[in-house]
Amino acid sequence: MLTTIAQAVVNGLLIGGIYALVSIGVTLIFGVVKIVNFAQGEFVMIGMYISFFLAANFGIDPLLSLVISMPVLFVIGVLLQHFLLRRVLALGDMPQIFLTFAMSLLLVNVALLLFTANYRTVQTPYSETAIHFGTLFVPMAKLIAFAVAMVLSGLLWVFLHATDLGKAMRAAAQNRDVAMLMGINPDRVFCVAVGVALALAGAAGSLLMPFYPAYPLVGQVFVLMAFVAVVLGTLGNVTGALIASLMMGVAESLGIQFVGADSGLIVVFAMLLLTLALRPNGLFGGWSR
Amino acid sequence: MQGFISRGGFWVGVLTAVALALPLLVSSAFAIDIFIRILLFAFIGVAWNLMGGYAKQLSLGHAAYFGLGAYTSTILLIRYGVSPWIGMLAGGVVAMLASLPIGALCFRLRGPYFAIATIATAQVLMLLFLKFRDFAWGAEGTTMPNLGDAPLMMQFEGKAPYYYVVLALLAIGLAITYRIERSWMGYYLVAVGEDEDAAEAIGVDALRIKRNIYLISAFLTALAGTFYVQYIYFIDPNTAFSFNVSVEAALVSIVGGIGTLWGPLVGTVLLEATSALLQSWLGGGHGGVQLTVYSLILIGVILCRPSGLIGILTDAYDHVVHAGAARAKEVPLDG
Amino acid sequence: MAEALVIRNLSRRFGGLRAVQDVSFAVNEGETLALIGPNGAGKTTSFNLITGFYRPDAGSVLAFGREIVGLRAHEICAHGLARTFQVARPFGNMTVLANVMTGAFLRDKRLDAAREQAREAIDFVGLSVKEHTSARDLTTIDQRRLELARALATQPRLLLLDEVMAGLNPAEIDQAVALVGKLSQRGLTIVIVEHVMRAIMAVARHIVVLDHGQKIAEGNPKEVVANQDVIRAYLGTGYAQPASAGERQC
Repeated sequence: MLTTIAQAVVNGLLIGGIYALVSIGVTLIFGVVKIVNFAQGEFVMIGMYISFFLAANFGIDPLLSLVISMPVLFVIGVLLQHFLLRRVLALGDMPQIFLTFAMSLLLVNVALLLFTANYRTVQTPYSETAIHFGTLFVPMAKLIAFAVAMVLSGLLWVFLHATDLGKAMRAAAQNRDVAMLMGINPDRVFCVAVGVALALAGAAGSLLMPFYPAYPLVGQVFVLMAFVAVVLGTLGNVTGALIASLMMGVAESLGIQFVGADSGLIVVFAMLLLTLALRPNGLFGGWSR
Repeated sequence: MQGFISRGGFWVGVLTAVALALPLLVSSAFAIDIFIRILLFAFIGVAWNLMGGYAKQLSLGHAAYFGLGAYTSTILLIRYGVSPWIGMLAGGVVAMLASLPIGALCFRLRGPYFAIATIATAQVLMLLFLKFRDFAWGAEGTTMPNLGDAPLMMQFEGKAPYYYVVLALLAIGLAITYRIERSWMGYYLVAVGEDEDAAEAIGVDALRIKRNIYLISAFLTALAGTFYVQYIYFIDPNTAFSFNVSVEAALVSIVGGIGTLWGPLVGTVLLEATSALLQSWLGGGHGGVQLTVYSLILIGVILCRPSGLIGILTDAYDHVVHAGAARAKEVPLDG
Repeated sequence: MAEALVIRNLSRRFGGLRAVQDVSFAVNEGETLALIGPNGAGKTTSFNLITGFYRPDAGSVLAFGREIVGLRAHEICAHGLARTFQVARPFGNMTVLANVMTGAFLRDKRLDAAREQAREAIDFVGLSVKEHTSARDLTTIDQRRLELARALATQPRLLLLDEVMAGLNPAEIDQAVALVGKLSQRGLTIVIVEHVMRAIMAVARHIVVLDHGQKIAEGNPKEVVANQDVIRAYLGTGYAQPASAGERQC
């Protein structure tokens, strides 16, 4: 029994690392630019397809393709902010929601047209291997994904707290006007924020390829998880998103183990409900009225 | 004559006459089907618009109520022999009841997070109905019993009667919107949509307003659900709780004119016409084309004309009829 | 004379910041009270606590004899307390008339009655000419006028004004003071947060001074202006000596 729980927890943590990359991206964009990116999952999808095609055509291992997918998505992010998101910043909730939502629809359906709905997978030498810690079974691909995800999260933390640009980002997140008075160029900061967020999504995609299939709608599952994690971890709080993602991974895993194989979404929803009911401002934050 | 033509009522009258005469003038079943879809989605859009357009509660999960309506009437019909006319009303009631806990929970979230919560709601309902095999036929769904020409059981020979039913639904939706728009409730809805806290400060019970408009919106959406499954003689969770329904409900209002009376209809005509064109052009094998085009239109509208395309039409109307002079704005923008 | 508003031991903190600490004062019916203090003293927070936008951690607020702590903002408005916001929050997509009618609907849901009530309030603040202007097209000052008209349309018994005079030139200040005076003559109880000393002296006989969330002085204008703690709070320790009541822009 204990072993089953431990195994479920391990499984949950491992996938939670991926959720973390996606949710950190969402919370970063929300914290800095104050826009909720409905299309975040689609950028994971793009990352996956990039890695898939690099693997299929050039034999490049998905982990190595991180080196390509992350910068590519960073650039996409910068362009996205500069040309699209910037235009709706002043417009209020509705246009912002529907712009990123429309982007999500667009990306999914263009992917559908270009790549069809077929699942694309990549087999790597470590796709099937696993490490055994005692009775625990830890798939190698997932372990690597988790480790890299944690490293990236750590690097982001360092970036936000120890570099000037990172601090500028946090400043702009806390108070845009004052930050501007301090000489921080908001557009530049926003572009970097979106770029970084999308790069993380791309990383998630590449890390997923060894053990997860790519298909147009793949992003939708992850983005739902990510959004709940963002709410749970308090909007705009990067560490919160990380911790909440890990928690959700574990909760989902335990749910699948003890409730039923397709109960993942129900668990997510239950967590969302609980959060809303008990702590609407998330675990880490905010002053309640 | 100028004065006569410039009255809005005149044009509504013309529109109504054309709408009533349409099935008599057009005999192609394919064309009537398109009209039915236009009217149906305009109706769903009108129902969504009450909440999403006026009160700015942007739900992307209205399929939940569409599906609840559809399943309630179908279960009552097939298991208990109850006429779908009654089932439709029952479905509306079920939807209203569902909207209460869903609203209570989701309204705690603002903006995008509200939208996400509503998406999740519809998804969960779909999952639940996929599981309910004994009660609700699970993933395979079911077809309606073929009762031939049975108006009392909402089944008709030919498409024209369906057209009139959905036209009536749309008329009801528009009438309700019109009445609300011109009452204190309309003002309160827009106020809550603009600035909920400022509204509360002048005595508006924002939670109650949101709850009440949600009830109405859910009720109407459920009616649409019943109609649809009666029309296509089939129901299954993927159709009934389809995300596409949720999306289109919001889309037609945003594209057409969010928070306006005629916006949803304008949006639907544009989008469905585009869709029909695409279908005849490309044949329909291409899974993602329709939504790709929809999303491009949506992006275009948001970037260029966030208040919706109806603004273009009203400007044209002003130009032609009033020779460009500014006309009194629609309430509740104006007292 | 009956007490319109009785605040007792009102407290609220935000994490480590004690925004309002143990504040108590009372306002008589028909009186105009000025709530002053340096920036960050807790004045707007007090308003938010009184009108139900924040819940106090402790303390009680009696409005016309009824405890209103715990009531929602709209219930408090229905009970007779109306407020304006420091930064005006008009409903941008509505006209001036529609904005104010929304306030009037609190007392009468009928369209024509509300319209009449609204027109009265709009006339009072001097916005009649712009009745059909979209609220977002108004100047800042007109938006403040709109804010006041909208609050008045709810037919309050107690009006809380948050820095309505900020940024006005002397002529405009005189106009605003005249308006406040007229409201007071109608019997309205008014609590006004202000920095403009001239205005305060003109409208208020009763002043409460806050600093760092605490009440440091209370009294009539003469007393308050001479109070050492008040001088210290505004100008720093170096100035704590007897000072004359002069024009001081804080």
